[in-house]
Amino acid sequence: MMVLIILTAAGILAMFASVFNGRSVVLPVSLSGLFAAGYFALLEWNTNTTYFEAMRMDNFAIAFTVVCLFAAFVFLLLYHYMHYSSDVHYAEVISIILFSLAGVVVMVSFTSMLMLFLGIEILSLSLYILAGLKKKDLLSNEASLKYLLMGAFATGFLLFGIAMLYGATGSFMLSDIAYYLGLHKAVAEPFIVTGIIMLMIGLLFKVAAAPFHFWTPDVYQGAPTLVTGYMATVGKVAAFAALVRVFQLGFSPALETYQFLFAAVAVTTMFIGNITALYQKSVKRMLAYSSISHAGYMLIALMAANEVTNGAVLFYSIAYTLASLLAFAVVAILQQKSGSDEVSVFNGLSKSSPLMSITFAVAMLSLAGIPPTAGFFAKFYVFSAAISDGWVWITVLAIINSFISVYYYFAPVIASYMKKGNEEGIVLATPVKVLLAIIALLTLLIGLLPGSLSYLI
Amino acid sequence: MIFMEVSSAAANTTVANYLPIVIQFIFAAGFVGTTMVATHLLGPKLQTKKKLQAFESGIKSVGNARQPFAVKYFLTAILFVLFDVEVIFLYPWAVNFMELGWQGVITMGLFMGLLLAGFVYIVKSGALDWE
Repeated sequence: MMVLIILTAAGILAMFASVFNGRSVVLPVSLSGLFAAGYFALLEWNTNTTYFEAMRMDNFAIAFTVVCLFAAFVFLLLYHYMHYSSDVHYAEVISIILFSLAGVVVMVSFTSMLMLFLGIEILSLSLYILAGLKKKDLLSNEASLKYLLMGAFATGFLLFGIAMLYGATGSFMLSDIAYYLGLHKAVAEPFIVTGIIMLMIGLLFKVAAAPFHFWTPDVYQGAPTLVTGYMATVGKVAAFAALVRVFQLGFSPALETYQFLFAAVAVTTMFIGNITALYQKSVKRMLAYSSISHAGYMLIALMAANEVTNGAVLFYSIAYTLASLLAFAVVAILQQKSGSDEVSVFNGLSKSSPLMSITFAVAMLSLAGIPPTAGFFAKFYVFSAAISDGWVWITVLAIINSFISVYYYFAPVIASYMKKGNEEGIVLATPVKVLLAIIALLTLLIGLLPGSLSYLI
Repeated sequence: MIFMEVSSAAANTTVANYLPIVIQFIFAAGFVGTTMVATHLLGPKLQTKKKLQAFESGIKSVGNARQPFAVKYFLTAILFVLFDVEVIFLYPWAVNFMELGWQGVITMGLFMGLLLAGFVYIVKSGALDWE
C-alpha cells in the first residue's frame, strides 16, 4: 500500500514541478520515489500482507514489483540524459511513468479480479499516451491510436471473461474461484470455460502472444524508441506476472481445460515471432518480433503449471528485461544520432563506440540464450519446468526456435564488428555509460551465478 | 468427453432458465420492427426540399458540419466531462454521509483534493488559455 502511495505522490509531484518551473527537481523526486517504493516493497518480503482483501504483497508480487521498478529506473535515467533539454513534456513523461508503475504494483499483487482489471487499465492508459509522445510524427500517432483501439477491444474480452466467471462462481476473489473449481470439478460448465478463455484472450493480447500479436510491430515501431523499451520490458513483464498470477492462484484446479490451449499458443507465438523477425530490416521491428517470441517461451513455463513455474517465469523476466533494456537503449541512442533504425546504423559501431557494441552484443547473446549470459539459464529453467512434466515435444520445438533466433540476433552484432561504417566517435554521458556497463555486467553475473535467483519465489 | 458434459448440463438447466430472456429478446426485436414498419406506413410523406433539411431551431443551416475545428473546443469539452462526471461520486457519499462519518469525509477530501490538484495543473499549464 505504501508502495502505491509513494509512486502516486511522486508522480503528482513530478507533474507539478513542470508547471511551477521546477524542471530540475523532477529527476531527484522521481528517483527517490522509485527507491522509496522499492524499499517499502522489500520490507514486506515474507510477510504476505493483505490489503482490503484485494491485494496481497507476497514474494511473487514483491519480486515482480522490484524488477519493474528497476526497468523504470533505467528508463528514467536514459530519458533524462537523452531528452532533458529537447522535450517540452519531459516532466509529464516521467510522471506518467510513475503513474503506470502504480498500475504495475496492482497488477502483480491482486487477489481480486476487479483489481486485475484496474491495474491493467492504469498501466495501459499510460502506455497509450506514451506511444503517442511524438505528437507531430505520423507513425507515433498511428501507434497510439492502434494501441488504444486494439487494447480497448482486448480489455472488453477481459472484462467479459471476469463477468462470466463471477456469474458462474459468485466471487471476484481468486481464492474463492479456485475453491469453487476444486470443489465442483465442473470445469466443463459452459460459463467457466467461456470465462477462462475470454480472460485468456484479454491477457494474451497484453503480453503480445500470437494470434493476438498483430498490434505489436506497428506500435513498437511507431512509439519513441525508449518508450518501446519501456513497453517491451515493464508492460510485458507486468502483464505476464498478472497472467501467471490469475492462472496459478485462480484457475489451477481447471488446468486440463486450458493447458493444451496454452501449449498451442506458445508454439504458434514462438514460430510466428522468430520466423517473421528473420525478414525485418528495422532493428526496432526485429526486437518487436523477438519480444513476441519471448512471450512464447514464457508461456511454456506457464503451461507446465508446476511448482517451478513461478521461479522460471521470474528468472526469465529478469533476464529478458535486462537484455531488452540494453538493446533498446543502444538502438535509441543510435537512432537519435542517425535518425534511422535500420540494421545498417550498426555498421562500424565497434570503432565508434566500443562500449555500446560490446553491451549490445551481450544483450543479443542473452536474448538468443547463449551461455554464459542470463538468457541461457532463463531458457534452461523454462524448459526444465516443461520437461519435468513430460512435455518433450514442446521443448524440442522451443529449442529449434532458439536456433532460428540466433540468425537475426547476430545480424546487427556482425554489422557492428565486421562492416565498415562511420567511425566518428559517439560521445555518451558518463552515467549512461555506467548504466550500460552495469546492466551488461548484471546479465553476465546472473548467467554465471543463476542459483541465487532461481528459487526466490 | 468435455462436449458431452456441456450438452447434458445444458439440457437440464439452460433452456428453461433462459426462456424469459429469449421472450424478452423477441419482444425487443418485435417492438423495434413493428414501430419502424408502422411509422413508415402510417406517417404522411411530404418530401419537399425544406422538409429534408436539418432542423436547427428555425435558423437556416450554413455550410457542412464536417469541418476541422480548433482543438481547444475539444479540450474544453473533454475537461468539462471529466469534472462533470466527478460530481456523480458525490451522490453516493451524500446518501451515506452519516454512516461513513469522518472516514468518509477524509476519503472524499482526498479524492476531491486530487481532482483539485489536477485542475490547478490544467490551469497552470495553460490548457484553458483561449488565445
